[in-house]
Amino acid sequence: MQFTSFGFLAFLLVVAGVNHVVPRKYRYIWLLLVSMAFYVSIDAKYALILVLSILSTYAAGLAIGKSKNPDQNVQERKDNLKNEGVHGSFLVNVVFISCIVLNACMIFGFKLAGFLVPNSILAPIGISFYGLKAISYLVDVKRGDIKAEKNLIAYALYVSFFTQIVAGPIERAGNMISQFYFPVNTDYYRLQDGALEIIWGFFLKLVMADRMGIFVDAVYGSSATGTITFLATIFYSFEIYCDFCGYSHIAVGAARLLGIDVMKNFDSPYLSGSIAEFWHRWHISLSMWLRDYIYIPLGGNRKGTARKFFNIIITFLVSGIWHGMGVTFLIWGLLHALFQIVGSLLKPARDYLVKLLGIKRDSFAHRAVKVVFTFMLVNFAWIFFRATDLNMALDIIAKSVKVTPWVLTDGSLFMYGLDGANMLVLLLGIILVLAVDLTSCRGVNIREKIIDMNLVIRWMIIIPAILIILLCGIWGGNYDAASFIYQQF
Amino acid sequence: MKKKLLSLIKIAGFLVVLGLCVFGAMVIVRRNDSDYKYKPFFGQAKEGNIDVLFMGSSHVINGLDPVTLYKDYGYTAYNMGGHGSVMQATYWELIEALDYCTPKWVVVDAYMLEKNYQYLDEMDETASESDKKASIDQFHLNMDVWPLNKLKIAAVKDLIHDKDVQKEFLFDFSVYHSRWNELTKDDYDTLMGKENVTSRFGSEMRKEVEMSPTLFPDPAEGQELAEHTVGAEYLMKIIDECQRRGIGVVVTYLPFCATTDDKMAANSAGTIAARYSVPYLNMLNLGIIDIDCDLNDPGHLNITGAVKVTDYLGKWLMENGDLTDHRGDAAFEKFNECVSLASRENVDFLLGQTNFYDDLEMLSLDDVSAVVYLNQGSGSFSDDEVKKLVSNIAGSDKIYNVSGPYILIKDLGDGKTIQGGSNVTVYEAGDSESLDGIATGLGTMVYQPVEQLFRFLYPKEDESINYLYDDDHIYDDIQIIIYDSESGEILGRKYYKSYGCEYKED
Repeated sequence: MQFTSFGFLAFLLVVAGVNHVVPRKYRYIWLLLVSMAFYVSIDAKYALILVLSILSTYAAGLAIGKSKNPDQNVQERKDNLKNEGVHGSFLVNVVFISCIVLNACMIFGFKLAGFLVPNSILAPIGISFYGLKAISYLVDVKRGDIKAEKNLIAYALYVSFFTQIVAGPIERAGNMISQFYFPVNTDYYRLQDGALEIIWGFFLKLVMADRMGIFVDAVYGSSATGTITFLATIFYSFEIYCDFCGYSHIAVGAARLLGIDVMKNFDSPYLSGSIAEFWHRWHISLSMWLRDYIYIPLGGNRKGTARKFFNIIITFLVSGIWHGMGVTFLIWGLLHALFQIVGSLLKPARDYLVKLLGIKRDSFAHRAVKVVFTFMLVNFAWIFFRATDLNMALDIIAKSVKVTPWVLTDGSLFMYGLDGANMLVLLLGIILVLAVDLTSCRGVNIREKIIDMNLVIRWMIIIPAILIILLCGIWGGNYDAASFIYQQF
Repeated sequence: MKKKLLSLIKIAGFLVVLGLCVFGAMVIVRRNDSDYKYKPFFGQAKEGNIDVLFMGSSHVINGLDPVTLYKDYGYTAYNMGGHGSVMQATYWELIEALDYCTPKWVVVDAYMLEKNYQYLDEMDETASESDKKASIDQFHLNMDVWPLNKLKIAAVKDLIHDKDVQKEFLFDFSVYHSRWNELTKDDYDTLMGKENVTSRFGSEMRKEVEMSPTLFPDPAEGQELAEHTVGAEYLMKIIDECQRRGIGVVVTYLPFCATTDDKMAANSAGTIAARYSVPYLNMLNLGIIDIDCDLNDPGHLNITGAVKVTDYLGKWLMENGDLTDHRGDAAFEKFNECVSLASRENVDFLLGQTNFYDDLEMLSLDDVSAVVYLNQGSGSFSDDEVKKLVSNIAGSDKIYNVSGPYILIKDLGDGKTIQGGSNVTVYEAGDSESLDGIATGLGTMVYQPVEQLFRFLYPKEDESINYLYDDDHIYDDIQIIIYDSESGEILGRKYYKSYGCEYKED
């Protein structure tokens, strides 16, 4: 059941409707039931892996929790942990490490198997996401950040919550489990807010991402060269953003309809002025996970510049491998690490240049140049992310550098699956996406603004938006309900 | 509580408005081809105005014309043929149609009887992806018009294997929403209830001439298909269904450039018809059409072929069908309107197009009066195709015996047809022959050849007129004058210059 299917919408409506009438304290039971049903509907074969992940981390969490003094508060437990170092009880450590290894092996083992035997072994859907959630829970319990969850149903729901299981956000147990016990009632405002977020997600996915996907696939699969190829790389950058961001909006909006608040996963990433800022705005839940469970434990930036750079490289290599076992993903991760390292090394020179030229750092032009430059770096790295192998990536780069601007006016542009009207939709859509991101950057919540509007004006915005999705969305017919790009990770 | 109620009312209101807007969008983007072809069927079926249903593929769409049948015999029919319809698709089309009417006769064409696959989205192993796509697309034309009910679901499930493709037919907005970038004024007019529908009761008349029809060897005498095909099975089901409902069935095999396999299929169709004791009209060898004039392309009849085939069938129905001639009955006024409209459309087509062969083909119909003049030395005198087409108009072989010039005047008189034909008069003159005092809609005409670049055609009532002389077209060797025989108004003039057997309109 794809998020963008009518089946999912009907499912969500029924779940939300029943959820509304179920007494608050039992809602998490209902949500676990439907989450499990949802998972079985999309990947019954590997449901056991999900159960294994839940049970193993639940049991390990309890074992670790028992080793703590239940009367201590979080700060005291943290202090104790510091004093213990990682030694603590040997048995608890063995359980902890075994469980982490088991879950990590499940995540990366399937990826490795899929890489070695392509097209025959498929990883369980969502394992990269729910696996990281399970690991983060265990580490948080071990660190003493949270108490071990005794209620198996609540914990199982945390790992398997259906709006997040396919592709995140990779939420923390500390934020989610407490909400399961005390879910917010969905009032009219919340209903509108959630619905608007879902609508925006559908727009990003069906109207934008899948439309750009047609062009990108056609160009990458052809012998096109020059500006067309360059344009395809730009479109791919927006495709993956609209695809994943669209998914996240649907996930967040759906959760909101159920009375659960889920973290924001994107925050105008293509308006970032540096690669470091980009990673604060792109796939925020994964970035935070990598920061909290890889980068900081490795020493972060506390152990000198060389070690910081090493930690950045390791963190981004893990990020690359998490996305896929291919060498292209490793290069993609490595590129992002290198961009940050080089940026850091060049900072004194950049500062000198800014001072020398009298550039105002807070000027629009300076910010715009940084944003465009950062985008082009990210765009370059996405080429490796999209390519099926290194040769293809190098081929695309070689083709992209040729300048053939006439293809924009001689009709060639419309020979790759999208005609003039579709290109216009894309152009207007990209402008809209950037405008929404820009207002979001300035702290304006457009959904709130719409909800606060007069009913007639509100309807005049929402109804055309739904019609645009229904009419201009890429769905139905011969459309292969393209799964979200991040679902494959 | 009051706040909750208010919220519920707002939600309900929103859903209603949204529903209306979505419905409107669905109406606008819906492909209208199926409605265009079949919508009038419902009205005629409701009125009980359908004597005969024509069932089959595009051969039927192009080959059997309800307008001609009514015009010449007074029998009412609806052409339910579907592009690319194999026998199983025809079967379900019939079942759907019989849900709305009970005709006295069903004429089912057996073309594609040899097809031996069940599912239109899979076809057979030789089918390419584009074949399958075309097959699904064509089935939309047959199916979209029918309301979603158990019958339609059964039909779709029987003919389409892939469940996702099945959904396309049951919820066609999933396919047609992507038409947003090809909408025309007509699509928006649909929302206002202004639907563009066929005026030919489902038939489509093609108006070109196949210049090089191919002939294929005959199979051995009586040779049939080697296996009992899915197509044969469904032909039997069609006959069964009609006989069960007490409806007369005629199995046909309409004429075209049939391959050897087609001819074997035609033989098999005959055997099936005989098994059920139903009449079978294998028109491949009945000499109904002139293969050089009456085909639009190797597979389909053009309008003159369709008229001939329809008249043949009409004659058969007159002799065997026990049908009532409805001409003159006020209840069938719609059919009279359509006859006039079809005639006007034919004339408009004739006036608008620029192909000499197609002109001659259209002039063989009895829709308008015309003068055809071929000057001495014209390349048309060495063009067998032109001679055939002219001979087809004249109903004589005179053109074969002249070296030029040649004139043909086809006059419809008062334009009113008589049963089984019309009061058309044709005058011809070749070489040095003249015509004197012939009564036409233009007046009492005189034709007199003088020299290659000069000849007379004038009405005795006004001898200052010379229809065959025009300073601007003095070197054009072919002239066609199209006129209204009732009013004498010249509707159009066409000039062609021949380059061997190529003709360029001037």
